[in-house]
Amino acid sequence: MTTLLEVRNLTRTFGALNAVAGVSFTVRQGELVGLIGPNGAGKSTLYNLIAGAITPTSGGIVFKDRPVAGWKPYQAARAGVARTFQIPKPYRHLSVVENVALSAMLHDRTVAAACDSARAILADVGLADHEDAPVGNLTVGLLKRLEVARALALRPSLVLFDEIMAGLTPSEVKGMTNLVAALPARGITVIWVEHVLYAIMKTAPRIMVLHRGELIADDAPEVLVKDPAVIKAYLGEETSFA
Amino acid sequence: MEAAAPRAKRRGGRWRLLPERGTLSLFELVLLAVCVALVAVPLPQYLQDVVIQTFLWAGLALAWNIAGGFAGLISFGHAAFFGVGAYTSSILAANYGLTPWIGLWIGGLLAAAFGAVLTLVCARLRGPFFILSTLAAAEVVRIAALNWASLTGGAEGLSILPIASIANMVFESKATYAALMLGYFVLIYAITKTVEGSRYGYYLFAARDDEEAASAAGVNPLLARTGAMCLSAFLSGIGGSLFAQYFLFLDPTHVISPELSFQFALLPALGGLGTAIGPVLGSFVITPLSEMLRSYFGGAGAGLHLAIYGGVLVVVMLYFPSGIAGALQRLAERRRKGPP
Amino acid sequence: MTTIGQLVLSGLLIGGIYALMSIGLTLIFGVLRIVNFAHGEFLMIAMYGAWAMTRYLGLNPYYAIVAIVPAMFLFGVVVHRLIVMPALDKPHLVVVFATMGLSILMQNVALMALSADLQDVPPILGGRSFTFGPFYAKPELLIGFAVALACTLGLRFMLQATYLGKAIRATVQDGEAAQLMGVPVPRIFLITFAAGSALVGLSACVMMPLFSVFPTVGLNFVLIAFVIVVLGGMGSIEGALLGGICIGIVQSLSSYYIAPAFGQMFFFMLFLLVMIFRPAGLLGRKGEATLGIND
Repeated sequence: MTTLLEVRNLTRTFGALNAVAGVSFTVRQGELVGLIGPNGAGKSTLYNLIAGAITPTSGGIVFKDRPVAGWKPYQAARAGVARTFQIPKPYRHLSVVENVALSAMLHDRTVAAACDSARAILADVGLADHEDAPVGNLTVGLLKRLEVARALALRPSLVLFDEIMAGLTPSEVKGMTNLVAALPARGITVIWVEHVLYAIMKTAPRIMVLHRGELIADDAPEVLVKDPAVIKAYLGEETSFA
Repeated sequence: MEAAAPRAKRRGGRWRLLPERGTLSLFELVLLAVCVALVAVPLPQYLQDVVIQTFLWAGLALAWNIAGGFAGLISFGHAAFFGVGAYTSSILAANYGLTPWIGLWIGGLLAAAFGAVLTLVCARLRGPFFILSTLAAAEVVRIAALNWASLTGGAEGLSILPIASIANMVFESKATYAALMLGYFVLIYAITKTVEGSRYGYYLFAARDDEEAASAAGVNPLLARTGAMCLSAFLSGIGGSLFAQYFLFLDPTHVISPELSFQFALLPALGGLGTAIGPVLGSFVITPLSEMLRSYFGGAGAGLHLAIYGGVLVVVMLYFPSGIAGALQRLAERRRKGPP
Repeated sequence: MTTIGQLVLSGLLIGGIYALMSIGLTLIFGVLRIVNFAHGEFLMIAMYGAWAMTRYLGLNPYYAIVAIVPAMFLFGVVVHRLIVMPALDKPHLVVVFATMGLSILMQNVALMALSADLQDVPPILGGRSFTFGPFYAKPELLIGFAVALACTLGLRFMLQATYLGKAIRATVQDGEAAQLMGVPVPRIFLITFAAGSALVGLSACVMMPLFSVFPTVGLNFVLIAFVIVVLGGMGSIEGALLGGICIGIVQSLSSYYIAPAFGQMFFFMLFLLVMIFRPAGLLGRKGEATLGIND
């Protein structure tokens, strides 16, 4: 499998705070990689760095063999990197379909074609019933699904999911987990930040653990559960991973 | 402020009754017919004047709306673009004999350049900071025009030769002016409708609603916004040139004034920001009202109509933020859904 | 040398007074995160009030402070209740347009109700100036500056030492958190807005001996206030004082060495330069102008 994303010694400081400290890892095409860590571990910062929302203090990011550290978010999107936002950011004055169609417009040259693509994706994530609704009416769970739909509409090579399970019922979690697990087969590589551990531990064959900006583990879930460093840093908190 | 309720699909090929994004409605066709009638039917001079101003302001309000409504770039300095257009074509005509038919494009382009510079310079500013910058920039232009007397005639103003001819864009008959202004208005309306239903339009709405999310979806927000401001400034500049050809006199105090800039923003705000029909409704309601109040109350009317607008704007913004267009939309929705 | 010194002194003094006029605006922005576009008109009616009391009651404008400041406070309460409060939970441009509308309304009501003529009050002490060595200063300027200074210090003391002050500072830093901590944020909003209005009233009384009043005087001054507030840093009281002094000196020097007509243009260019290079201003919080307001 070819390397899709390579992060080399990536560091980002905010004043005296090391949000991301010397993180290095490689993600190959077709992988499904989980990313966990306590709050404040630096996961969002890492995503922001990869997706171009902020620039690194030092270190490199290589995507599809191109060094891209410090690129702009729209460049990342056009290159094939999609991301969801932890706190959903819908376009308030557009309907659900239009929200997703906007992302589809990256590839579809007409509004009508984009709306058609959007409707297909909305069906995939289970939002077909809310197509024409204004986004103001949606619950958090539905908004999270909208985030997923918008990311997928970009037809990305790499998607960065940020806590997409929050607010979902167990059956919805199952549905979403199946959706995510099926993505690599569709040619979409996934990095997945999640707090709903039971979903991620069962689905992702590889999980990275971030703690205080550092990558302290990068292994299969069975191995992680026994790793004392991980247990101390993360599983020592009250999180369920049954 | 709300844009018109979104409708992404066309339903069954039937004509829509009320204006919607992406399609033409009966309302708009009827309105067009009425406007053509207003030009073709002989009217007393006084009414023709009102018609001319209404059409011109409909165009100007639509132009503002592209930046303010679509892109979210609220500007209280648009009179500067208007003035740049007006003065450019008039100075070129007076000093170089260049016909305003060409001069107005140059004026428009110059105004667009100003718009681009302003947007790029103020790229990182949001909310009131951006608005204040537009105010300041317009004042700079006004004071420059006032003091650069050798170019603009300063406070004494610039007169356009009232020699009627097509080449001069000066006409004997008001009906011709009305047709000219109608053409301007219809052209900008067509542009607005096209942008509204296009990918570019959606990029503007997205960048306006959530810049970060739009950026993550592949939109370059700065480029999109700058384009909108350039187009808005360009069209405002052309409107300025047309105004100059009608009014035949320009002076910085009246042409590049904060009051005029306020008018640019007032009409779309009352009519419905972010929709195509909103600015039109705003102009069709306010401009004739303006003239009526002015003529009814004479000198004191100068203050009265503005006082009324100020008050109306406060009330409308607090209780009907979607303006007239929004109110019509809600009526239509209630009709469609039936009584609750 | 003396000329420059004199110009700087005069600029400093008038700058302090400009600062007094702007403190209300910056305070309102810091707490409520809105720009009151009708700020100039608040100044205008307060100035007319001070003038009227001088003209019809024979008081000098400094005594009028006793009536004008509470009156402006009340006016602020009314405007806040009727216009600002309903606008706060709506998209930001609602409050922009609403205060703009109020500004236009007030200007034109004044135009209709009052004459467009300039109105003045007679200078105190018969127009004599105080001299300090080679420099001179009008007593109105000195008094105005002293009031401005006292006000700034008083406000700073109030913000640091009183519960209200702490509540205000908490609201500035994080309104939601403050509310969760028991700070009555809506009331803080009301008090701040009304206080900003009262401060405008105070500055009007102090400015009346120095400037003429006419219905559209607000526009001149509000633009100066905006520049000062931006220069000093939105939300910073000391920033307003500093910004005011800078502007006063710049205006004084440029009016003398260049031309008075261009004086105004200089402000705006200064404003735009600040907006481009340091939108947070001299003492403001970095990133504020670029983060803007949450819609």
